[in-house]
Amino acid sequence: MKPLLEIKNLKTRFYTQDGVVKAVNDVSYSMNSGEILGVVGESGCGKSVHALSMMQLIPDPPGKITQGEVWLDGQDLLTLSEEEMQKVRGRDIAMIFQDPMTSLNPVFTVGFQIIEAIQLHTDMTKDEATHRAGELLDLVGIPGAAERLNDYPHQFSGGMRQRAMIAMGLSCEPKLLIADEPTTALDVTIQAQIIDLVNKLQAELGMAIMWITHDLGVVAEIAHTINVMYAGSIIETGKIRNIYKKTRHPYTIGLLGSLPRLDDAPGTELVSIPGLPPDLLALPEGCPFAARCEYRVEQCVVENPPLVEIDGPGHSVACWRWEEIAGIESK
Amino acid sequence: MTRYIIRRIISVIPTLIGVTFVIFMFQRLIPGDPAIAMLGEHATDESIERIQEQLGLNRPPFLDREALAEGDLAGFFDSQYINYMARLSRLDLGNSIHRRIPVLETLKLRFPATVELSLLSMIIAVMVGIPVGIISASRRNSLIDSVAMVGSLVGVSMPIFWLGIMEIMLFAVFLKWLPAGARLSTGFEIQGITHLYLVDSLLTGNWAGFKDALSHIILPAVALATIPMGIIARMTRSSMLDVLQEDYIRTARAKGLGGRKVLFRHALKNAALPVVTIVGLQAGTLLAGAVLTETIFSWPGIGRWVYDSILGRDYPIVQGGTLLIALIFVGVNLIVDILYALLDPRIRYK
Amino acid sequence: MSQINPEDFTVTDFAIREHRSLWGDAWKRLISSNTARLGMFIVILFVFSATFSHYFWKYEPKKDLDYSLKLKAPNLVVTEEIPSIHPFGTDKLGRDIFRRVVHGGWNSLRVGIVAVGISLLFGGVIGLLTGFYESTTMTRVERIVLYGITGFLMGMLSAWIANQFLQLVIFTILGILAGYFEGLWAGKYYRAVFFGALGALLNFGLALFVGLPVALVCGSLGLLAGLLLSVTLDGRFFSNVMMRAMDMILSFPGYLLAIAIVAFLGPGLGKGMIAIGVVGIPVYARLTRSAVLSVVNKEYILAAHSVGESHGRIIFRHITPNILSPIIVQTTMGLANAILSAAALGFLGLGAIPPEPEWGAMLGDSYRYLTSGAWWAVIYPGLAIMLSVLGFNLLGDGLRDALDPKLRT
Repeated sequence: MKPLLEIKNLKTRFYTQDGVVKAVNDVSYSMNSGEILGVVGESGCGKSVHALSMMQLIPDPPGKITQGEVWLDGQDLLTLSEEEMQKVRGRDIAMIFQDPMTSLNPVFTVGFQIIEAIQLHTDMTKDEATHRAGELLDLVGIPGAAERLNDYPHQFSGGMRQRAMIAMGLSCEPKLLIADEPTTALDVTIQAQIIDLVNKLQAELGMAIMWITHDLGVVAEIAHTINVMYAGSIIETGKIRNIYKKTRHPYTIGLLGSLPRLDDAPGTELVSIPGLPPDLLALPEGCPFAARCEYRVEQCVVENPPLVEIDGPGHSVACWRWEEIAGIESK
Repeated sequence: MTRYIIRRIISVIPTLIGVTFVIFMFQRLIPGDPAIAMLGEHATDESIERIQEQLGLNRPPFLDREALAEGDLAGFFDSQYINYMARLSRLDLGNSIHRRIPVLETLKLRFPATVELSLLSMIIAVMVGIPVGIISASRRNSLIDSVAMVGSLVGVSMPIFWLGIMEIMLFAVFLKWLPAGARLSTGFEIQGITHLYLVDSLLTGNWAGFKDALSHIILPAVALATIPMGIIARMTRSSMLDVLQEDYIRTARAKGLGGRKVLFRHALKNAALPVVTIVGLQAGTLLAGAVLTETIFSWPGIGRWVYDSILGRDYPIVQGGTLLIALIFVGVNLIVDILYALLDPRIRYK
Repeated sequence: MSQINPEDFTVTDFAIREHRSLWGDAWKRLISSNTARLGMFIVILFVFSATFSHYFWKYEPKKDLDYSLKLKAPNLVVTEEIPSIHPFGTDKLGRDIFRRVVHGGWNSLRVGIVAVGISLLFGGVIGLLTGFYESTTMTRVERIVLYGITGFLMGMLSAWIANQFLQLVIFTILGILAGYFEGLWAGKYYRAVFFGALGALLNFGLALFVGLPVALVCGSLGLLAGLLLSVTLDGRFFSNVMMRAMDMILSFPGYLLAIAIVAFLGPGLGKGMIAIGVVGIPVYARLTRSAVLSVVNKEYILAAHSVGESHGRIIFRHITPNILSPIIVQTTMGLANAILSAAALGFLGLGAIPPEPEWGAMLGDSYRYLTSGAWWAVIYPGLAIMLSVLGFNLLGDGLRDALDPKLRT
């Protein structure tokens, strides 16, 4: 099956007064339609930036996509002009963001903003679009949908707002929905609701979803595949089972190891990865994780390991010593 | 929404009362006796007293506590301020001390001139300032942006009176294209409906009159508009730039909205809020700046007239004129607040 | 490949950026802007020439008079007719305009500094206090002070009417009592009854010595005061009242108010400074207040409260440093405005007393000679005003961009 989305060698840079920020470094992967991909990493690892780069939403200046191809349905999105890109946004790819309060325009009603998206990409009349907007709000579980179309964003609660944003994102039936940390700003119970909602919608509508987050727990509940990113590169990627059961990259091992477990004996110390992520203005030559890795050797510092497949497709790692580490860890 | 409006109107009342108090107090405190000013230094004590009685100046300013001490409760309230407020409620603004004509009449005569000038200046300032601000914001750091911003900064730095003088020097003295003062050249007559010459002449089909009135008003209007224009342009630009950073603009773009729609629909409505406030504030500045412009261009408005009266100790005129100006100012601010609520639904629902 | 222990060799770790302070950053940004540099240059030139000329190039305005040189065009070379150089020409009294323009700078500088100083001092303090107390609960002592002051102010009217100083004392004590016994029947209507009655009786009794009608009036004032004092007064009340007062000042267009104040105080540059300063107070009050409001609910302020820091310490140590940015910008632009206002006052004949050199006054003197062609008497002073104001505005603008927190990465 031909993949829905194929990203090849994506590089994004920000040119600032203090220097060049290497935000996205040679990112390549692909997604199939209907697949739910989780993109995981800490703040600043490039997960949001690479998604924005795909949609050509990087502010230029100071940002620039210096290299790469993004193939969606036979088109390299990075070669499209702004006008052509506008047709893709919202219709083929939709994106929803982290903070629904600031992501919705406070001076327009929610209904207006959804209808706007619909009328932009379809031929529906105002009435048809209004009806459809009401259906969408209903679909995402907002009670009294039709009346709430006339409400303003500040009249919704946090969870409701995010549902409305999801409705807006799905309004034109995109092939790919990118969700950039959609539950980070919500509290845990609402988080669970939203995750359930998205799972349900995906089952019904069948679109591909890219779920960007730093929360390993969230991603475990929703993703089929996971990309782990660090300092602008993907350092491990694979099916969810592989990532959680057969973790290979030291960073991922460290991440999962730092999660407290219910079956830990009380008094067990929390493990954390020593040090801080590298400054993107001054990325070291070799593996970006080398400085903090307890398994590092000379080669790690000098050469950046490429992403290689291990145990067949469905699991890739960017580490020189993954085999040895797997051996050490299993003891 | 209506509740909000009513609340705002009510909250204005104590401010207005305070305003009358302050105006009244100032006149009382300015040294100089209008009676003497009228009659001259060598007038007899009796005539001075008679004039003072006529003008009500021999009553105590605020409250007559001696009367109260003597048991006269009614006399307690017979004071200048209270009498003034009583007359005010009947819309009686008194008569000019120097010229004996009712203040209200003179105000009605001179007020339209200032209104016309201020209104035209405001229109110019807004119609130039806002588009310039928007264009600058959308082409940030380009040549247009730099030129526009420096230009508006220069405009803001320019003293109105100097600009007016420069204009006269250039257009009236050297080029002789435009007249140097007054509202109309001699010999022209415009029928009075609104007393705004530009409007009236158009309404009565008086084309020649319109052209003449325009040639007289254009120089002072441009001079007066320069500072507000600069301020509005800068405010619009900075407000737009702020708004363009917001998350919802990113959402709009992610939906597939194009540059122009994003700018004018999503950004502008949000950016308008601070701009509306600034425009309202400028209205007050315009009214006051009118004093200087009216002086240079011999414009028969209330600004210059009130100023002359302050120096001439003509209390009723000062009180009436200042009260009017303050009222307008407060009124404009009220309108601005209401407009703000109309634009920003978050304010309405508080 | 053998495993090497992490301690064995050092790697250039987490790239540590050089320490950047807020002000250092801002300064760098300021320097890099062309317009800001231009502004700085103009301002420095202005300040330098004004101070230098005042102290080293003495000028006696009262002695400067030479009708033979009346209204001469600018000349850079000495001729028989005109035995001295006048780069800017001469004015109606034969005075060298260049010299007067340079010295006028000193006056403008002084007015700017004093006026802005007044506005900043009073407005800033008002803004600081109202902003702070609006969101912070007052301590017992602070509240008693508030009640006491309210009592005092209300007492002033009554004391004046009855001509009894004692009334003032009684009202103040009533206030303090109401504040001290704040918890007494709080929220219940008998508190109002109690204090109202107390106020009424005390004042009635006291004023009875003067006469019955006076006593009636004072008694009712006492009742009112008592009722007001029985209500819970807090920071928000204080804030509301103060901002109301500010609004009242703001109801008057700036120029008009300044003219009125000068008319009241009399002519003179000093009075002009006060007038412009007073007019500016509400502007700074509003600005400071909104800056304080945006800071006062931040976590670090909350943390300071929870560690037990006193209000005064919080205001000075935590709040003030964080609101400096908009105040600095406003002060710079305020200086520009003050110079402009001073020139306007001078133009109208208020402010500087002739023959003091003041740019606006120079303009006001000379503009009637425009038609006879004496353009130099009008252009140069005006240019001086414009350039100095422009300089401060450019600088203020550059400061605003440099201090903009949003630009900090």
